[in-house]
Amino acid sequence: MGTPKALLPFDNEPLIVHVVTTLRRLFADVVVVAAPGQDLPPMPVTLVCDEVAYQGPVAGIYYGLMAAKENAAFVTSCDSVFLNLDLISHLLSQIPQHDVVVPHWQGRFQPLHAVYRRSVSPLLAEQLAHGQLRPVHLFDKVRLRTIDEDEIRRFDPEGSSFFNMNTPEDYAEALKRWSITRRGGHAVHCTVELFGVARLLARTSEVPLVLPAGATFSDAFAALAEKLPVLVGHVISPDRTRLVDGYACNVNGLSFVRAPTARVNPGDSIVILSADAGG
Amino acid sequence: MHGFFGRVLHIDVTSGRSAWHDLEQSRLRKYLGGIGLGTTLLYDYAPAGIDPLSPRNSLIFASAPLVGTGLTTTAKFAVVTKSPLTGFIADSLSSSHFALELKRLGIDALVITGQAPSLVYLFIDGEKIELRAAEHLRGKTPDETESTIRSELSRPDVWVASIGTAGENRVRFATISNEGRHAGRGGVGAVMGSKNLKAIAVCGERVTSVAYPEKVEVVADSLRRRSLGSVTDKYRSLGTVANLAVFNRLGTLPTRNFQQATFEDADALSGEALTETTFSRRHGCASCTIRCERLFKSQTGEEQRLEYETLFALGPLCGISDPDCVLQAARLCDRYGLDAISTGGTLAWAIETAGKGLLPEAQTLGLRFGHAEGALAAIHAIAGRQGVGGLLAEGSRRAAIETGSDSSYWAMHVKGLELPGYDPRSLKTMALGLAVSPRGACHNRSGAYEADFSGEVDRLRGDSRRGAMVAASEDFAAVLDSLIVCKFLRKCFTDFYPEAAEILAGVTGWDYTGAEMRRAGERIHTLKKLFNIREGWQPDSDWLPERLLSESLPTGVAKGVGLSRDELRDMVRGYYEARQWDENGFVPQRKLDQLEIIMTATSLCPA
Repeated sequence: MGTPKALLPFDNEPLIVHVVTTLRRLFADVVVVAAPGQDLPPMPVTLVCDEVAYQGPVAGIYYGLMAAKENAAFVTSCDSVFLNLDLISHLLSQIPQHDVVVPHWQGRFQPLHAVYRRSVSPLLAEQLAHGQLRPVHLFDKVRLRTIDEDEIRRFDPEGSSFFNMNTPEDYAEALKRWSITRRGGHAVHCTVELFGVARLLARTSEVPLVLPAGATFSDAFAALAEKLPVLVGHVISPDRTRLVDGYACNVNGLSFVRAPTARVNPGDSIVILSADAGG
Repeated sequence: MHGFFGRVLHIDVTSGRSAWHDLEQSRLRKYLGGIGLGTTLLYDYAPAGIDPLSPRNSLIFASAPLVGTGLTTTAKFAVVTKSPLTGFIADSLSSSHFALELKRLGIDALVITGQAPSLVYLFIDGEKIELRAAEHLRGKTPDETESTIRSELSRPDVWVASIGTAGENRVRFATISNEGRHAGRGGVGAVMGSKNLKAIAVCGERVTSVAYPEKVEVVADSLRRRSLGSVTDKYRSLGTVANLAVFNRLGTLPTRNFQQATFEDADALSGEALTETTFSRRHGCASCTIRCERLFKSQTGEEQRLEYETLFALGPLCGISDPDCVLQAARLCDRYGLDAISTGGTLAWAIETAGKGLLPEAQTLGLRFGHAEGALAAIHAIAGRQGVGGLLAEGSRRAAIETGSDSSYWAMHVKGLELPGYDPRSLKTMALGLAVSPRGACHNRSGAYEADFSGEVDRLRGDSRRGAMVAASEDFAAVLDSLIVCKFLRKCFTDFYPEAAEILAGVTGWDYTGAEMRRAGERIHTLKKLFNIREGWQPDSDWLPERLLSESLPTGVAKGVGLSRDELRDMVRGYYEARQWDENGFVPQRKLDQLEIIMTATSLCPA
């Protein structure tokens, strides 16, 4: 593509910076495995070198795991621009009982969007020694958890997580998709689920919303306030940008929203509940 | 002395003798009141290694410095003893008028030891102490006991804490009840029953002295206003039953003995549905502005209190979806004086065991998931220790050991205390909190779940950071439980430790700082752990039931998520590190020195 893939401009920054920034929302420690002599911008990561060139993804996974500080690590490539943190969290949640957790999407394993235990490193070293350069060779030798399409779709309905760029056309497609996501070509359809006091006040448990592309949770609260003014002051702040103290917002029953400036994804279920879950 | 009376009343019910002993100010300053004070007294009055149901065990009712000051949610008392269910510390709280009256006796704690030759009740009228025959109260419910005692004493100003049939029969998860509230967990009612003590009736005249009443009133007023804000909306509008639908959505509602974490009929049992269909009225403890209690009406028109833990334990945990049946089961637990969580947990174990053909008698009772009549029949049997009820009255751990055939695998307890309504597999901080709690599987002596529900951590994945979170939560709870302030007020504080210290300083006149308060929390929690170590705690005590470590969740948003031994082990290790205990969880001498906990081989030196 004329420029090293990691340095392709994406959202006003090098592609690798974009991916690292996304991952740092979930991980305190990010390891980047670079080719010998590869030029990379400064990033808050642990940088290691792929000591032997042309050994493919198995070597990248191996060197990355050797440098990882935790017992297991999520592995991806530098051109995975549409990573979905909820899906990654789900993969991570499966690792305690397994050695490798890998999605299986449209008939193919996705070894460069998978979680590996550090303890599989010796097996990878063995593969490298025998010239077995495909990650799938590892899968027969470990406790494998395959995440099937139905399970993936709960978090990433269109499988955007597995989009990567191998041709200039792919790059153009990625830029186009990103632009649509950012500026809005497609409206975001989502559902608000109300629990507790919010449900009693609204006298309904679910409200569908259509938001402009790139909408944030603040936008969702404002749209909800428009439909259900009774919630303003009780559940939604008078300026309609956030929930009042005592209420919390969760997405799809999984992650809790900490910043109302975070973006809403198409198909999200926005769960509004009491922040005080105990009792 | 302000805030305290500086004395403890000890009554030996074997001989009927009583004595007042002074309490050192240094002890009160270091351990506050409530659970902190109660734990220190347990060291003094319960010899190491005693059988919890023996006369030598002590049953301690501890008051606290904020009781009687008019501060909202502080009309509470603690019951501390050695638990017949766990063999470790039992520290339970209850609230309302009995708490106020206990303090009006002019004491900071009441210690009861011994065993009366026949069933009695204790009447303390100021300084006058009387043990009265109570055979006529045998079999009466706590409510009936309270009204009978008031009536026969012709004293409407008397407040009563009592046991029901379950306590009389020493069911190991019996409660002590007052005004419909319960000191619920750990079997404190069985200890009271073992002393042949049906009830304690109190009436006093002493007023709690406050050092700086005007200062305290300013804080009290501010807290009252804050207690009516949006952070307590849930408790005021729905009560804790609001949790059920949320927990179901988040995949953490224990169902059918923790075989699932979602319940297909959760909508029918949700707090929202109950509020719309069967809500009767709202009620509150004395001195409380939040008034979280919700009473619901059964089909027969009877009112019944319901909280989330009762609802989950007698509903989804047993596979029961009919709200009226849950109300009936809750009513039986209240009338017999049974801890609803342990009742539900033990029933769920029995249902699963019966399903595998291991408890023929339980099958005869009709015990199976979703079958309400069987559950109701079993609750009667437990309270009366009739038939298989005698086995179930021992709690799930003992019943499983007795039954054998791997049934311990599905006995869902920690240290013998049945799990509350949070599935640890989808709440990893809570998993750690439950595993390490000195009381056993407990959701009140830490609020570990708060980290999971905050978005601060990935609730589906454990890591070593959770140790510090759980430790901080335990220390916070220890202070709340010792001052005593209701946990439902906890989010009304802006900066808890300095604010709590300011309140204590205003009440006692002590120069007390937030840092000292924080250290008191750690000290109190550590002392509970030390008591457990004295009573035989071992590293494997801080662990979770095998099922949770072997089975992934089969349904809901957390489908496929499990909890591995390594994950739990790492979190427990992180917790010991955060506590600065040794790698096996024992408390090193340097930590005792740091916290100024001075001990002999078997007892505590408070000074």
